[in-house]
Amino acid sequence: MRKIDPDKANAYYRIRTTLICVYLSIGFLVSFVVVFFARALSSFSIMGIPFHYYMGSQGAILTFIILLFVNAKVSDMIDKRFGITPEQMNEKDQAVNQ
Amino acid sequence: MDAQFIVSLVLIVATFALYIGIAVYNKARATSDFYVASRGVPPVFNGMAIGADWMSAASFIGLAGTVMILGYDGLAYIMGWTGGYLLLTFLLAPQLRKYGRYTVPEFIGDRYNSDFARLIAAVATIIISFTYSIGQLSGSGVVIGRLLEVNTVIGTLIGVVLIAFYSALGGMKGITWTQVAQYLVLIIAYLIPVIFMAMQLTQNPLPWLSYGEVISEMKEIDQELGISEYVVPFTEGSKWQFIALMFTLMAGTAGLPHVIVRFYTVKTMKAARWSGAWALLFIGLLYLSAPAYAAFSRFILMTEVAGSSLDNLPAWTQAWVDTGRLSLADGNGDGILQWTELVISNDIVVMATPEIANLGVFVIGLMAAGAMAAALSTAGGLMIAISAALSHDIYYRSINPKATEQKRLAVGRITIVLATVIAGLVALNPPGAITQIVAWAFALASGTFFPALLLGVWWKRSNGAGVVAGMLVGLGVTLAYIFAAKYGGFTILGIIDTGAGVFGATAAILTNVVVSLLTPPPSQKIQDEVTDLRYPEQIQYKNGEVWLRDVK
Repeated sequence: MRKIDPDKANAYYRIRTTLICVYLSIGFLVSFVVVFFARALSSFSIMGIPFHYYMGSQGAILTFIILLFVNAKVSDMIDKRFGITPEQMNEKDQAVNQ
Repeated sequence: MDAQFIVSLVLIVATFALYIGIAVYNKARATSDFYVASRGVPPVFNGMAIGADWMSAASFIGLAGTVMILGYDGLAYIMGWTGGYLLLTFLLAPQLRKYGRYTVPEFIGDRYNSDFARLIAAVATIIISFTYSIGQLSGSGVVIGRLLEVNTVIGTLIGVVLIAFYSALGGMKGITWTQVAQYLVLIIAYLIPVIFMAMQLTQNPLPWLSYGEVISEMKEIDQELGISEYVVPFTEGSKWQFIALMFTLMAGTAGLPHVIVRFYTVKTMKAARWSGAWALLFIGLLYLSAPAYAAFSRFILMTEVAGSSLDNLPAWTQAWVDTGRLSLADGNGDGILQWTELVISNDIVVMATPEIANLGVFVIGLMAAGAMAAALSTAGGLMIAISAALSHDIYYRSINPKATEQKRLAVGRITIVLATVIAGLVALNPPGAITQIVAWAFALASGTFFPALLLGVWWKRSNGAGVVAGMLVGLGVTLAYIFAAKYGGFTILGIIDTGAGVFGATAAILTNVVVSLLTPPPSQKIQDEVTDLRYPEQIQYKNGEVWLRDVK
């Protein structure tokens, strides 16, 4: 085991937590906020469906799915940037052994 | 014996043989196989297994009908049940995976260092899963009964025997791969009829893109008839009820023990994140289609059934009138069936669709096999959760800590069989409407587990006294609100019993925070363990320092 800089670990935690707050806010916006203003938002429509109904039946779910995939992909990229994917850690070990 | 009977029987027997074959092939050999499938399931397949585990008879049979009858207000179920995966995947699943236990009560017991908290969590798991499984078993009884033309009681018994057999045999490992197969069966069965209906009604094979035009046409019909319009919001309940129900279903989803445990079956936190994403994609296929089903079915009923004379109705209506789930009373005696004279049960929309749209015996049989897959896969997951709570959290961790692996496995198998049989007996005569019982199970999960897990993962100051008080108050408030709203006519902002989780969760979080702050903080070791959950498994937090693990 090697010690790492606590600032680096904190930076990791901060960026992950910030992103999660952003994702959850978007999720909240497309579900709760749209529901709250449902009557006002029904005046325009998408594919022939009033906006509030479209968001409830398709828009919110599609947003949720996209958010989850974006999170999975971006988290992988963050892990890579911090050099902690299993592949990167294997490479480091080999370099030390040579 | 007609052709329909033979086709349905062949399809159901063939799919059952497949599930049992998979269970036998993946027979559990060790405790970790039994509870968490050796933690080796790839994320895509784990996503399918979560999908099958999650989508119950209520989703498969009841969701489209609920939307059809409630219109916009039914969409609270769609957004709530899918939105829960955001809370689960962002806030709980990867961290719980890193903590690395077998069950949810075990996490609560160890994180809060409290045997009593583990016991409450185990009992809550049993109550929630048991309630939920009664609905599954009685749902499978209805389907088997109607399609094999046997009594519902015999249908339920067939379901009980099957679930007890394969879940006891395979444990989590067998169930995981069985659920992958069940997901494929149920989603194919769900999509084929709605695609055919879309082609018939809109000449477009993609129902998700084409049901908008049906909704526009219905708007005109609604206005002509002067009834409450399909897409107009909050006609069936207050806006606050919609929001409370949506919250209850989201928080309940994030707190359901049998769903969380599926995230223990993968290798890493990374795999847990991907599992959540794949799961919601696979679940989304069904949830995006349910509103299309609802729109098409309502449109067909409005245009082809309503307005016709009573002796000239389509042949399929009679079969459903006979089951008591469709009522066509000519209230004004003019010989013509008005839309308002048609009373339809939520449950028949999906099951009757192949008949409504004239899709033939094969599709009807497939529908039955899909509904069975939905009911059986969820019931299987629930049984594992009950058995784990009893054999692992109560028997092994509280009664006999010296039990050998064989003994614990045996207790696990016996409890599965017992729990299935008892749930089956209750399901022969269910204590209430299935959707209502299911909503209560979610309200209880959001009032007990969601706050305990959320604070357990994200607030290291939360302690044993706080979680015990929080779970008990959450349970008490949820139950009290359900009873007060249902039987006492008591409501706040028009929120009825199905939205009770919002009060339970709020009360539990407040109680947990206040009691934790009034009592001594948890030990440094536990606080360090919670800090450790901020990082992926390659990074470890210990004694105030951060370490990079060696690669094994």
